[in-house]
Amino acid sequence: MPIWMEVFVLMLLAYGIGLGIGWSIWGRSS
Amino acid sequence: MSELMQEYWLLILVALVIGFIVAWWVFHAARRTHVELEDKADGDGAAKRNQALIDAPPVAGAVPGTMSAAANADAVAAAPAAADAEAGAAVPAREAMHKMADVSPGESAEALAPEPTDAPSPAPSQGDDLRRIKGVGPKLVTLLAEQGVTNFAQIAAWTDADIDRIDANLGRFQGRIRRDDWVAQAQMLAADDISGYEERFGKI
Repeated sequence: MPIWMEVFVLMLLAYGIGLGIGWSIWGRSS
Repeated sequence: MSELMQEYWLLILVALVIGFIVAWWVFHAARRTHVELEDKADGDGAAKRNQALIDAPPVAGAVPGTMSAAANADAVAAAPAAADAEAGAAVPAREAMHKMADVSPGESAEALAPEPTDAPSPAPSQGDDLRRIKGVGPKLVTLLAEQGVTNFAQIAAWTDADIDRIDANLGRFQGRIRRDDWVAQAQMLAADDISGYEERFGKI
């Protein structure tokens, strides 16, 4: 796997984690 | 993997922050806008329906004789608000219903009497129709009623502290009171100053 793809996957993972944290803060309230 | 993390931690952090911002926008900021739009559309729709009911010719009385008594009675049942708003025109329909039901007019009149004459505006049985305030929809009316606010006079008398207290309980509608200037609207509506109201806030 080329290195850029690994980095991309890691960034995607981080994006998903950020989204998840945001959802747990604002998404569940109403 | 850990080497990659060490090398590209900044990029990963940026991605995390972007995800966080997107989540905030989707779940918090955009949701407010969405609710407002939805609410506005809903309010307009209700207003149009009410206006249509008011403007509509009395279905039963419009073309007497062209409808069968049964159809006439059905039409009245379907549009009691329009028929009742024009009480005079509704008389033939009521007579038709009396014949259909074979009851005395007195009894029937009693049965019909409880129907509200101002059916197009489904105001609570006590208090004013707060939906006349621009920016107040059915959900807000319910929220306000839960806090004991049912009259224009109450809203007209609100102080800044009152606004803060009520606003805190309005959930996703927070900020509406000041944004739409409910107090000024309510003062004019409470005083029945319709021309002044329409001049300042637009047509009711």
